Amino acid sequence: MTGPTTEALAPPLVKAARRSLLSLALEGFRDIVQRQRLIRYLVGADLKRTHVDTLFGQLWWIFDPLLQMAVYYVLVSFISTRQIPDYALFLFAAVLPWKWFATTVNDATMSVVNRQSLIRQIQFPKVVLPTAAVVAGTLSFMIGLIALGIVYLFFLDRLSPWVLLLPVVAAVQFVFTLALAIALSACNAFYRDVQNVMRHIVRLWFYLSPGLYSLDHIGHGTARTILSLNPFAPLFESYRAITWGMGPPQWLGLLWVLALSVLLLILALALFKRVEPAFARIL
Amino acid sequence: MGATAAGQPAIVVRDLGIRYNLRLTRRTTIKSSLPGLLRRGGDGAPKHFWALRHVGFRLDHGESLAIIGPNGAGKSTLLLALAGILEPSEGEIQTQGRVSTLLTLGAGFELELSGRDNIDLAGAFLGVDHREMAALTPSIIEFADIGAFIDAPVKTYSTGMKARLGFAIATAITPDILLLDEVLGTGDQTFRARSQARIRELIGRAKAIVLVTHDLAYVTEFCNRAMLVERGQIIREGEPGEVTELYRQRVTERKLLAETEGQRFAEAPAAAG
Repeated sequence: MTGPTTEALAPPLVKAARRSLLSLALEGFRDIVQRQRLIRYLVGADLKRTHVDTLFGQLWWIFDPLLQMAVYYVLVSFISTRQIPDYALFLFAAVLPWKWFATTVNDATMSVVNRQSLIRQIQFPKVVLPTAAVVAGTLSFMIGLIALGIVYLFFLDRLSPWVLLLPVVAAVQFVFTLALAIALSACNAFYRDVQNVMRHIVRLWFYLSPGLYSLDHIGHGTARTILSLNPFAPLFESYRAITWGMGPPQWLGLLWVLALSVLLLILALALFKRVEPAFARIL
Repeated sequence: MGATAAGQPAIVVRDLGIRYNLRLTRRTTIKSSLPGLLRRGGDGAPKHFWALRHVGFRLDHGESLAIIGPNGAGKSTLLLALAGILEPSEGEIQTQGRVSTLLTLGAGFELELSGRDNIDLAGAFLGVDHREMAALTPSIIEFADIGAFIDAPVKTYSTGMKARLGFAIATAITPDILLLDEVLGTGDQTFRARSQARIRELIGRAKAIVLVTHDLAYVTEFCNRAMLVERGQIIREGEPGEVTELYRQRVTERKLLAETEGQRFAEAPAAAG
């Protein structure tokens, strides 16, 4: 080593010291903000990749929720005697947001693992991967809103100005989904079991959320209290209130989900940044 | 870029160690790592593996260093650490200037996107400013020499075309430090000649190069320094000619040793019987 010339060097790469949860989360957040361009390109690639070999391409984002709604409609009409007016629209208020959530969580969980060859070749903030998956899912959800417009053609009398609040409800769901996506993508890098288990958890989660039914159908016992702790209870009830019920969303419920989501997001970012250096070693 | 003049240190490595955790390796599931987790702090099998230990050297701008050694010696691990992809488990690495890795060509390509889109994507991954990337794009396309295919999806490319595009991107951003892993042999004869010319040019522009290769001819041709790595440690560092000679000797010795061992094993049962 010869003295003064080394002063021009960048700060040394050393084993990262343990850092506080907040500083880790903040760095994760900074990664996302600073690499917006990369996220945008990844989203573009994602949208181009999905449905590329299908006849209808992106139109599947419109067909798929419609078909899913039809399936649930037939199923529930057979097993339930209770008549809910305009049930197709009632269902659709939950089917579309759920498709967004389920697809995004699935894609995001695999996002880090799917880029393993790149992770071993280029140094970049890995948190852009689940983030891009969530953003891509959100764009698809927006395309899917065209399907909502189609459903409305049959229930025009249920259209009210409240539906304009849909982006607000969706924003809360976005934060919640992003938090889960970031945490799950990191966990899946260590244990691939996560991706298998999540598929089933997501399915069960839907039936435990008031999507096919309303919380009002449950009555007022302990079951209802437990079910309403589910973040998707206020989300679904709010989507339904503004699209089907022609009324305001559940403001208080949304606020609680937002608070929970922000907390989860901080924890998820901190977790991700904490284990990120290990990705290149274990993938 | 006055700071990157020749004779200034580009890379300084001090007492570097890279440790792998054997409990969490590739494609683990909870089941396969459960015994290890339960046995935590227990007996028997080692939990860690030092891929590199006590490695230290310095490389100045304008120098090009070849890293040679048998498979599994830790050569690629060292390159990954220099690139900042693997975090040091102990010791430290200091680099000066922009580092570009060219570890396996074109592995990061999105197959559904066109070559042009992939240039943008690669630039975004590398953290290159998009205006700079836009300015570099024509020269990348020209150097990769893939003609009208540049607007076709990369899935339609041949292996050689992908390799050329990867090489063109990695070397276009004029890194201060270029890390290469076994890539000089890609492509056909003409492209090989052109890529070698590009490497010479980068060396000439006072950029530092670290090259991992099995081809000893490249070592003496391209590099002014060489390093022999075995079992995660530097065995010798110095003139390319001298180090490659030592490597050849050790390979021959090991081969002889293996042969005599083999003979001993072959003879042992015969003697016993």
